[in-house]
Amino acid sequence: MGKVIVVTSGKGGVGKTTSTANLGTALALLGKSVVVVDADVGLRNLDIVMGLESRIVYTSMDVIEKQCELAKALVRDRRVDGLMLLAASQKNNKDDIQPEQMKAICDKLRTTHDFVLVDSPAGIERGFSNASAGADEAIVVTTPDVSAIRDADRIIGLLQNAQIEPINLVLNRFSAQLVGNGSMMDQADVLDILNIDLIGVVPEDSGVITSTNRGIPLVYEDASPGAQAYMRIARRLTGQRIPIPDLEDKGLFSNIVKWFTRNR
Amino acid sequence: MANPIVTLRAYRDGLHLIIKPRLSIAEVEEAIQQEIARMNRPLVGTSVQIVLKSPVLEEEEISLLRSKLQEDYDLTVRGIDVVDDESVSPPIAAAPTTHAISQTTDVRAPRNSELSRIIPHTIRSGQTEEFPQGSLIIYGDVNSGSEVKAGGDIVVLGTLRGNAYAGMNGRLSAVIIAMDFAPLQLQIGNYTSRSPASQESRGYPEIARIGAEDVIIVEKFVKF
Ligand SMILES: Nc1ncnc2c1ncn2[C@@H]1O[C@H](COP(=O)(O)OP(=O)(O)O)[C@@H](O)[C@H]1O
Ligand SMILES: [Mg+2]
Repeated sequence: MGKVIVVTSGKGGVGKTTSTANLGTALALLGKSVVVVDADVGLRNLDIVMGLESRIVYTSMDVIEKQCELAKALVRDRRVDGLMLLAASQKNNKDDIQPEQMKAICDKLRTTHDFVLVDSPAGIERGFSNASAGADEAIVVTTPDVSAIRDADRIIGLLQNAQIEPINLVLNRFSAQLVGNGSMMDQADVLDILNIDLIGVVPEDSGVITSTNRGIPLVYEDASPGAQAYMRIARRLTGQRIPIPDLEDKGLFSNIVKWFTRNR
Repeated sequence: MANPIVTLRAYRDGLHLIIKPRLSIAEVEEAIQQEIARMNRPLVGTSVQIVLKSPVLEEEEISLLRSKLQEDYDLTVRGIDVVDDESVSPPIAAAPTTHAISQTTDVRAPRNSELSRIIPHTIRSGQTEEFPQGSLIIYGDVNSGSEVKAGGDIVVLGTLRGNAYAGMNGRLSAVIIAMDFAPLQLQIGNYTSRSPASQESRGYPEIARIGAEDVIIVEKFVKF
């Protein structure tokens, strides 16, 4: 039996879709069977980031309307074994789908795959309830700025009310340089406010933009810092215990301290 | 015990030297000397905001005072505020005139018969906890974008970053205590205070209560 993980944030543009595409691909590269589900009905773009937009025939809407079987609506990613995409309908809107219908899809996918990653739209309304309806766990993505953090906090409250657990945090677009000169919040400040487990820190990486435009998830670029960060998060999702490297670079000692704190 | 002529108080934005109206400069100087002697911590190098209650001292008396504070006590004057005698309040707090209290509210008034509710988690953005029947104790943070309201006290065993409203039924002896104090807005009874935008917690517990000047004051929390 697999896990359904909703990737969400509250605020738009913080890296939910980027994270879903990269973590989905990374998990498949680690040998897991994965479906990435676009829950952003009407504003889909996970297919573009995955480079699969030209191959979409059916969407989750077709499955709900019984126009096709769920298995047939899954688009196989040919670059890696075990990775599938379930696209969202572009011509419908979020109110055309009920949370129970999304849950039914997730419940089915859970029986056939190790990981089901659901890319949530921004906001706290229907799109969010649809995306989280079938979730066992959540990944909350935030950037280190006050408005994204406040929205993440709001979403964490809603996820907790829905008894979705654990909720893990991905801190995205982190820049050690900006923290160093005092213009960005540091990791400790973010964690102090949100008070959930950190599963990884993804640095600001210009490779993300080029990879998005080319439709090739960053994790294929082994050397890029963003790719390495996503690979580490994927390993943690599979249960491996690996330390979170200190991007703030305070040296070995604080790395060790963090490693111990995380594995307490 | 508040000094009757001048009062030195720690507010969120730093020290305020509050000077009562209708005084001669000599009286003010003497009172300042006493008040500073009364403080049991060194003030050297700190800056103060002078808060004058109108009718105000003369222009040249003020500049005399400024240089005296600098020279005799090594206190830098950050600025001077003149507040209306009717609605006596320093700039960070807006005190309504309906509740004119003349002395420090007795924050130690007994609370024995009062109920309290424990919230065993952090209160997150968009969430509200309200308990008009008594006090709220929060085993966590009160995050920005959230609100806690209580008929009695509010005690936050974490960081207060949101809005807190104690004494919501009008009890002016209610207090707000937090391990780390960085609220957006405070309200006690019908007194409100807004914190400066860039304010940070100080790393020690603080208490907000209604003080002798009919405003909400925030100071280091010392056991009752
Ligand atoms: N780590 C990163 N470094 C640089 N750019 C990033 C990073 N993560 C995301 N981006 C960029 O931010 C934008 C929004 O990302 P996206 O994943 O679409 O956010 P969301 O799905 O939350 O709306 C995209 O242009 C993406 O390329
Ligand atoms: Mg998106």
